[in-house]
Amino acid sequence: MADLGRAALVVTLGLAVYSLVVGGIAARRNERRLAASARNALYCSFASTLVAAAVLATALVRHDFSFKYVAAHTNRHLPVAYTLSAFWGGQEGSLLLWLLVLTGYGALAVAINRGLLRDLTAWVVPVIGGIATFFSFVLVAVASPFDTQTAPFDGAGLTPSLQNPYMVAHPPMLYLGYVGLSVPFAFAVGALLSGRTDERWIIATRRWTLAAWMFLGFGQLLGAHWAYVEVGWGGYYAWDPVENAALMPWLAATAFLHSVMVQERKGMLKVWNMVLVALAFELSVFGTFLTRSGVVNSIHSFSKSSIGPWFLAFVVISSIFSLALIMWRLPLLKAKTKLESAISREAAFLYNNLLLVALCLTILWGVLFPIVTQLLRGETRTIGRPYYDFFLRTFGLPLLLLMGIGPLVAWRKTSLRGLLRTLAWPITAAVATGIVLVAVGGGSSSPGLIAYTFSAFVLATIVVELVRGTRATGSLFVLVARNRRRYGGYVVHAAIVLLAIGIAGSSAYSSSVERRLALGQSMSVAGYTLTNRGVTVDAKPNVTETRAHLAVKGRWSGSISSGDNQYVNPPEPSREVGIKTDWLRGEDLYVIVDESHPKTGIVFVQVLVKPLINLIWVAGIVFLFGSMIALWPDAREQRRLVARLAPIASS
Amino acid sequence: MPTRSPARLVVALAVAGVLAIFLLYTAVAGHSTPTLTPSEMQGKSGKLQVVGTVVGKLRGDSHSASGLRFQLADPQGHGGKRVDVVYHGAAPPPLFRVGRSVVVTGTYAHERLQGTDIVTKCPSKYTSTAS
Repeated sequence: MADLGRAALVVTLGLAVYSLVVGGIAARRNERRLAASARNALYCSFASTLVAAAVLATALVRHDFSFKYVAAHTNRHLPVAYTLSAFWGGQEGSLLLWLLVLTGYGALAVAINRGLLRDLTAWVVPVIGGIATFFSFVLVAVASPFDTQTAPFDGAGLTPSLQNPYMVAHPPMLYLGYVGLSVPFAFAVGALLSGRTDERWIIATRRWTLAAWMFLGFGQLLGAHWAYVEVGWGGYYAWDPVENAALMPWLAATAFLHSVMVQERKGMLKVWNMVLVALAFELSVFGTFLTRSGVVNSIHSFSKSSIGPWFLAFVVISSIFSLALIMWRLPLLKAKTKLESAISREAAFLYNNLLLVALCLTILWGVLFPIVTQLLRGETRTIGRPYYDFFLRTFGLPLLLLMGIGPLVAWRKTSLRGLLRTLAWPITAAVATGIVLVAVGGGSSSPGLIAYTFSAFVLATIVVELVRGTRATGSLFVLVARNRRRYGGYVVHAAIVLLAIGIAGSSAYSSSVERRLALGQSMSVAGYTLTNRGVTVDAKPNVTETRAHLAVKGRWSGSISSGDNQYVNPPEPSREVGIKTDWLRGEDLYVIVDESHPKTGIVFVQVLVKPLINLIWVAGIVFLFGSMIALWPDAREQRRLVARLAPIASS
Repeated sequence: MPTRSPARLVVALAVAGVLAIFLLYTAVAGHSTPTLTPSEMQGKSGKLQVVGTVVGKLRGDSHSASGLRFQLADPQGHGGKRVDVVYHGAAPPPLFRVGRSVVVTGTYAHERLQGTDIVTKCPSKYTSTAS
């Protein structure tokens, strides 16, 4: 069976090379039959990758430990869901998933657009083919999931902390996001190569970008929630290079999603959009290089595998190629209009973009800092949380404010007086929120106070917009249905506000106390009193569970347990935290018992009270909902697009 | 329509502003921590991070006055220098044990690292089958 998998990957490599070479020749010579042949090769590459993926999935389900990959990442005791999730749990499998999504996305994007955008898709095929050539080559020559061995009786299994539903969904979500960014990149490169740099490539890929951005954003929140409930340190984001690897392309894609609106409307920022889409794509591949090369120190223990240099070479070559292409086509990328006023919708988008890219690049600098210091000073130095927190506040708070101002500023130009009149209600809401917060003691954290005040401002602008629109159309449903992109965007803005409130609340206003508690002894933290009621040990077939039990009195009364599990196979421990959620306040009582003595009943316990933290997870649902509204197909919009694109395509 | 666009000015000012903030941060508030392996610690002192593999026996208790004591060796396990670590504070993460890759932050003096924080590396994700 492994031979079938290997053969399928070799076929994929051959088809990808064909799409690249023949597709490139066909596009250059404008030969339709040859272009159709290259396009069909791209479709077939998806089919052959699907065969390879099916072989690996079958081997996983059948516990075929003659596959080295299956033996290294699963065992016979692993539940089916986690056995299947091992597909992307290791390096080789995750690369196969990348190739599968890439060829699937590429084939679909080309199939959908081949009629209306024939000239563009002729160039998109070789670009997707080029990316697929790289990944299939790595899978065939460097990191094959189909290496075999004499089958052992059982496999190594999966670390218990990774046996969590969030870990089933989190990695594929990220891949759908990372790989999804290849589609707008391929269309952008296709537009540059063909010289058709009008806005068609942006319109054609808008939903692809939005979907990739949605998956990447939601995938990160799933990972954050997993860290919060499973890792047991009380946090959800550690500014680790591997976490930053997903955040950076998401920030670049966020900037892109906003700036394309300026190009669509005003014909401006054409060069900037090309740079952004290339940046988002390169950062997504660079993230893979970071996670697989071992060049930076991370809390994730990645092996220094042989694929690192290949990825670095790919990032360097494709970055140089993209930049050279943009430079070559600069004369075609001139703006149709100019920015007329610093107080206008397009200026607000520009500020938003500069802040997002600045945040993205400062994070990139933080990630690269150890490498740079090693090269320049011969000593690896690491930048910690204070650096990232500083820049998150510096760029994030103005971004939050802009999220409220931007949608209410008119295109072209607005007077300051007119803008202030438009923003009267939101400003009133923000000031009132600030006064109330100071009165109830919220002024203890300046960043927290600013974040909440700005959040109130943004929420008020959204409400003002919805009320105005509903009055005009007579129905909120009709309003949203008629302009899904705009109102879906407002819902996403509301999600970002919830996220900001959750982050500010859980970091600026959290409490934490550590104590050694003897049996019957109590401790107090932020209005809660916890009393040690003893330690129990429960031995089960594959796990021994040790739990300290604490009685809780305060805003909520009951009991909470925390401790650790010691598994037999694989012989790994896991920390089990106790979390009690107060949904009315969005607050968590988070208990970490990091040491317990069953005989004496003595426990060492850390108790955290994290106000509003659950708004972060609620924000994830709202984010998904808003993104789905913006993504939902719209027949009227499609008709408008066809009418708009047809004359350009035929010119 | 004005003949000159303020766009370039806005971009230039924004870039300058970002650079100013960045330089201000790195000059005033920015402080990085050296990240070393045990064999790179010759002649070093002060606050640093050590990346290594836990070796030898684990002695003591992080909550006791004498602390949790162990040694760190180079991550790749090619021998080399070992560093003595004394760690006080909350118990180390559950995955902490002999043979595990960890990052210990602390103060290094008199050939001993007084650890204040231990991060155990998350195993398994994306490690290659060969490793």
